[in-house]
Amino acid sequence: MLIAALQQNTYADGFPIRPKRLLLAPSVSYFFANKGWDSLRVKRPFDNNGKFTSLTYTLFAEYGISRRWSAVAQLPYVTNTYTQTNFNSTSRGLTDLETGLRYYLANINYIYYFMLQGTVITPLYTNPGLGYGLTGAELKLSFAGSGHMFGTNYYFTIEDGVRQYFGSQGPIQNRYSATFGLTLDKQFKNQVSVAFGGFYSVSDFKKFDVNPALDKNFAFNQVSLSYGHSFTHEFAVFVSAGTFVSGRNTGAGSSASLSLILKPFR
Amino acid sequence: MFDALKYSIVKSSFRILALVMASGFWCLQASAQKSKDDGEVSTEVVTHDGDGIFDGSAYFTFSVKNSLNTDQEGSVSYLVTTEKGEKLFDKNIKVKIDRNSNESYDFRIPELKAGFYKINFMINVSDYDDTTRRAFGIRPKEIRSQYARPADFDQFWQKAKDELAKVAPNFKLTPLPKQNTDNREVFLIEMQSLDNYTIRGFMTVPKTNNKSRKFAVLLGLPGYQVSLDPMLGLDNDLAIITLNVRGQGNSRGEIDTRRDEYIFHRVEDKNKYVMRGVIMDCVRCIDFIYSRPNLIHDNILVSGGSMGGYLALAIAGVDKRVNLCSAQNPILCDIRGMVGEVDWPITSFRKYVATQPGFTMDKLLNNLDYYDGKNFAPSITCPTLMGIGLLDPFAPPANEYATYNLLAGKKRILVYKNLAHEITEKYKELEGRWMRDTFALF
Repeated sequence: MLIAALQQNTYADGFPIRPKRLLLAPSVSYFFANKGWDSLRVKRPFDNNGKFTSLTYTLFAEYGISRRWSAVAQLPYVTNTYTQTNFNSTSRGLTDLETGLRYYLANINYIYYFMLQGTVITPLYTNPGLGYGLTGAELKLSFAGSGHMFGTNYYFTIEDGVRQYFGSQGPIQNRYSATFGLTLDKQFKNQVSVAFGGFYSVSDFKKFDVNPALDKNFAFNQVSLSYGHSFTHEFAVFVSAGTFVSGRNTGAGSSASLSLILKPFR
Repeated sequence: MFDALKYSIVKSSFRILALVMASGFWCLQASAQKSKDDGEVSTEVVTHDGDGIFDGSAYFTFSVKNSLNTDQEGSVSYLVTTEKGEKLFDKNIKVKIDRNSNESYDFRIPELKAGFYKINFMINVSDYDDTTRRAFGIRPKEIRSQYARPADFDQFWQKAKDELAKVAPNFKLTPLPKQNTDNREVFLIEMQSLDNYTIRGFMTVPKTNNKSRKFAVLLGLPGYQVSLDPMLGLDNDLAIITLNVRGQGNSRGEIDTRRDEYIFHRVEDKNKYVMRGVIMDCVRCIDFIYSRPNLIHDNILVSGGSMGGYLALAIAGVDKRVNLCSAQNPILCDIRGMVGEVDWPITSFRKYVATQPGFTMDKLLNNLDYYDGKNFAPSITCPTLMGIGLLDPFAPPANEYATYNLLAGKKRILVYKNLAHEITEKYKELEGRWMRDTFALF
């Protein structure tokens, strides 16, 4: 869940997509945490030399249905491992499938775009170590733009989504992010971006778990830095690194990810 | 002897002192003169509305910078006239601008009815006089042409299209590989148009290995007596056609007029006026686009400036296959309203009328009613972008707005308060973004 949020920021996804165009973004992410913030925002190491790692393979896809509508889907496969002195636990499998529709609401001068996305979250697992196991729904508004600044091109995306997991003690979450990127050359081959984002999750279930995917009442903020290189119009690679900078009732971790952006049918 | 020596030294000293003083005085004078020469009086007019359009009374600030070492005395004034030059208001104030100082004078122009007006700001002070010409608009969206559209306007153009349909187009596409670039292929295009004239132009298409790839189309239309070349660029989503209409560029053909004669070529007969064929040449080019399987037939932007802007309006009015229209400084709009207001093309028409026995300005204007950009506007239902300059001597803003206000589809106008017969690069950038958004070329 957390890693997916990070990797989505590795490319600007707040803009409309061309009709009949398919965008595929396979990615792999690694997350590591051996500390956590408690409910009073005090950071401390996990008990008994505990370490949590998560390796996530994700396939994100977006397909342009029309000028205003596109379909999005995201399928993660996760391996979560928690080790501590004399204890080792691993869970792996497909986790929450996200499917949704994105609607291009409006623009300002064809530079700034407003998009609205509705997403359904469908758990594909029964293993309690992989997530809440609850169906959810999210409504997300994004604002994105691009332009010229200091002799180079920039883009930005600001997103805010409210997600509700249904069922017993299903949390309601506010998920937000802001990304700012700069192209490093006139051919748009290379770009760097910085992102800030986080979750604010509220639930009656307040217990802390070292596995961030299982926490329900928590908050965190993270920052990340990405570099992207476009080999062709159809193929680009992004690498990203990020770390949590503040939190409550959640792990304090860092992550790295590698994403491919493919547009196979131009 | 000693005294003589002392006297000689004293005398020499005085001479040197006098020389030094004279040099110093000269230097000071030169310095003062240089300082005066280096300085200048400069003026600036600030229009207190972004694009010179006001809802109520217009408001300007006239700023004077005196960087001379002398005070400047005299007057600052303004004169407001109609677009035809009839005086409406003026004001003159005495001023004294101290050396090396700035002064600003606010001018609120009395209320005026909807329309466009010229305003000249004059400064006449000790060492400087100058006039700054500006224009402004009052509620231009209320501007309406005083002149009616001919009742048979649509039938007139339908008849022209029917005649065109009888001409076999014989489209011909000739690769021009020597003009290809890294990313585009260049073609000469040829087609038969009204009166069986051969019309030529160029098409450039992005190189692609995907044989089924289709491209949106930019149809670039020519200015008055302008010869268009192939248009290249880096856009990989767009085929670009530049059309040379009859009598221009490589379509000059039988209409080989002198530059100033083209505008009135056969205007004495509304069914033979050069623009009838010219507009049909544009329609034929849309036929060409529809004949090409690699072009997207419902992604056609027509764009041009001056006469090209006029043709963009005309073709969007007579041919619904046009999807977007971009007209920059279109000429021949609200033509009857141009009489007495603009020099060209009215003077050219007058000269021609004078050479034609029995032909009058009234008859000419009656014929031109069928060619008035304003009269195409009500038929234009596709989204349209217009760009105008408030100081345009050939396409005055009131005439442009009289046309713009009649456009039937979604529309947007960009007004350039300090420009004449031109628009800026920002217009072209907006046009590109607008086109990409509308055609979903994200």
